[in-house]
Amino acid sequence: MPATLRVSDPGAAWAVPDPRELALRIRLRAVRMVAPQGSGYLGQALSSAEQVAAVFASARPGVDRIVCSPGHYIIGPFAAAAELGLIDLSGYGQNDSAFEAIGTERSPVVDYTCGSLGQGLSAALGFALADRFRGRDARVFTMVSDGELEEGQVWEAALFAAHHRLDRLVVLLDANNSQVDGPVDSITTLEPIAAKWAAFGWDVWDLDGHDVSALSVALAAAPMRAGQPSVLVCRTSTRHGLDCLPPDADGHFIKLTPELAFAAERELTGKLEALRA
Amino acid sequence: MREPPYRTELKPYGRALVAAARCRGEILCLSGDLTRQTEIDLFQAEFPDRFIHGGMAEANMMGMAGALARCGYLPFVHTFGVFATRRPFDQIANAIAYPNLPVRIIGFMPGVSTPGGPSHQAIDDIALMRALPNMTVVDVADAVETRQVVSAIADVPGPVYVRLKRGEIPVIFDDDHVLRLGRAEVVLAGTDVALFASGMMLAAALAASRVLGEHGVSVSVVNVPVIKPLDSATVLAAAAAVARLVVTAENHSVIGGLGSAVAETIAEAGLGRPLRRIGLRDTFAEGSLDAPFLFERYGLSTAAIVETIWSALGRAGPAPPAPVTAARSGEYSPV
Repeated sequence: MPATLRVSDPGAAWAVPDPRELALRIRLRAVRMVAPQGSGYLGQALSSAEQVAAVFASARPGVDRIVCSPGHYIIGPFAAAAELGLIDLSGYGQNDSAFEAIGTERSPVVDYTCGSLGQGLSAALGFALADRFRGRDARVFTMVSDGELEEGQVWEAALFAAHHRLDRLVVLLDANNSQVDGPVDSITTLEPIAAKWAAFGWDVWDLDGHDVSALSVALAAAPMRAGQPSVLVCRTSTRHGLDCLPPDADGHFIKLTPELAFAAERELTGKLEALRA
Repeated sequence: MREPPYRTELKPYGRALVAAARCRGEILCLSGDLTRQTEIDLFQAEFPDRFIHGGMAEANMMGMAGALARCGYLPFVHTFGVFATRRPFDQIANAIAYPNLPVRIIGFMPGVSTPGGPSHQAIDDIALMRALPNMTVVDVADAVETRQVVSAIADVPGPVYVRLKRGEIPVIFDDDHVLRLGRAEVVLAGTDVALFASGMMLAAALAASRVLGEHGVSVSVVNVPVIKPLDSATVLAAAAAVARLVVTAENHSVIGGLGSAVAETIAEAGLGRPLRRIGLRDTFAEGSLDAPFLFERYGLSTAAIVETIWSALGRAGPAPPAPVTAARSGEYSPV
């Protein structure tokens, strides 16, 4: 696959035999991506690994679209695509690389990403409308973070999606309660998140975002009702699945010393071997 | 060119968009809750399936337009210029300008042409859009140019911002006038002063040139419908051809629009000419019942152009009066 190809481009091909294993490999790959820089958006990969794995397991290659609204989360789709043999990530995060830590227009794999937060759902609506105009049967899997719900544009888009009955749209909302200044709930009260989306006319699933089986079931079942867009409120942690992280690790931008990177590599490699055994 | 008072047309843009859409199925029309005001009730009536109500949600509308353009559509997004640029600036930057997508942003009611107060006056839209890489910025002068603007911009590969007068649109040019993107045009030749005008200020520039000519000052008038990319060759040639003074006139802040673009161009070329900029002098415009009052108060009148040139040239005595041509209902004259 050329480095510019997106998952929805004709010819894209991959298979995910075990999303649980892919989630683990996303974590390991993300550690290896961040380690040379000594810090990066590892927390986003840790909280969204199961969501990314479930999306790649559910999306039809060459048809369905993936929108990664928060550009800081692009590490997850990059890691998944690399693990699935779709891209060569060498040079990630280095000067002059197409693979920047925060997603750009040069970022391959996803249909849309943007480092200015809260914009991805609007792009997803545009894709869903275009597919509807063309009679193209495609789903739009849209990764959104809970911090983005502080941006008004997300709610503009949520209103539009429900009004226009864009039921091919599925939002995976990473409710990791993490933003730059601290826990989201210490800065803005978003709860009840599920009730808010329901009130906006969406079909809502509130689930453990690290339960890849539950995510896969929901993605297969959505939309439960014709004409309704769906949102999976995924309850997650930016430290999940990496026990060696210190308790005070900053979930938004994790520092990964060589010693910590070594410990993380050993821990995740061990878990992967155990899973495969 | 015609003489004031100018006859006016209604909905030249709306008709042009419908005509273009008949030939090009990829054209979509988005409205930010200002459908009749932006003349696209005509489009909605003929192509309801290609019409999208964005509602009062400009940020979302720009984001959707960008994605639709990625999918091969040609989205024309409509609202007032002030809402089309200030509110969704970051969305235009990231979702449209940076990916260089062929979204056409059509902003009505430029500058102080509205009595709606500072909240409704697009006095910085050109500055904002001009600052964005990849963006083309258009400010047409009359109905003849407006009729042509849709087809003129249709095939620009990147994004375009067009500001359009709302309501009765004067017919200034003859019907055979051709709007060419990337071309400024010397519409009146003169020897003392080069007066560059865009959009609604062309009519006042023409009137000022006439008055000054009657009093021994020869003023060339250059119509600049495309602010970016600026036709620097024509600007430099017109500025170099006059010995004494360069003047710009725009229905916009003097910061960041036509005046700035011309200043940058002649300064970078090392062309030393005194410069005066007619426009809003770094102020919001309050207190109005109608546009002519605001054009007078904020220095956008024919008299303001005449006085500015008169004093810049050091002419003795008071500037000659700038008689206003009376306009009946359905006609247009600059103040």
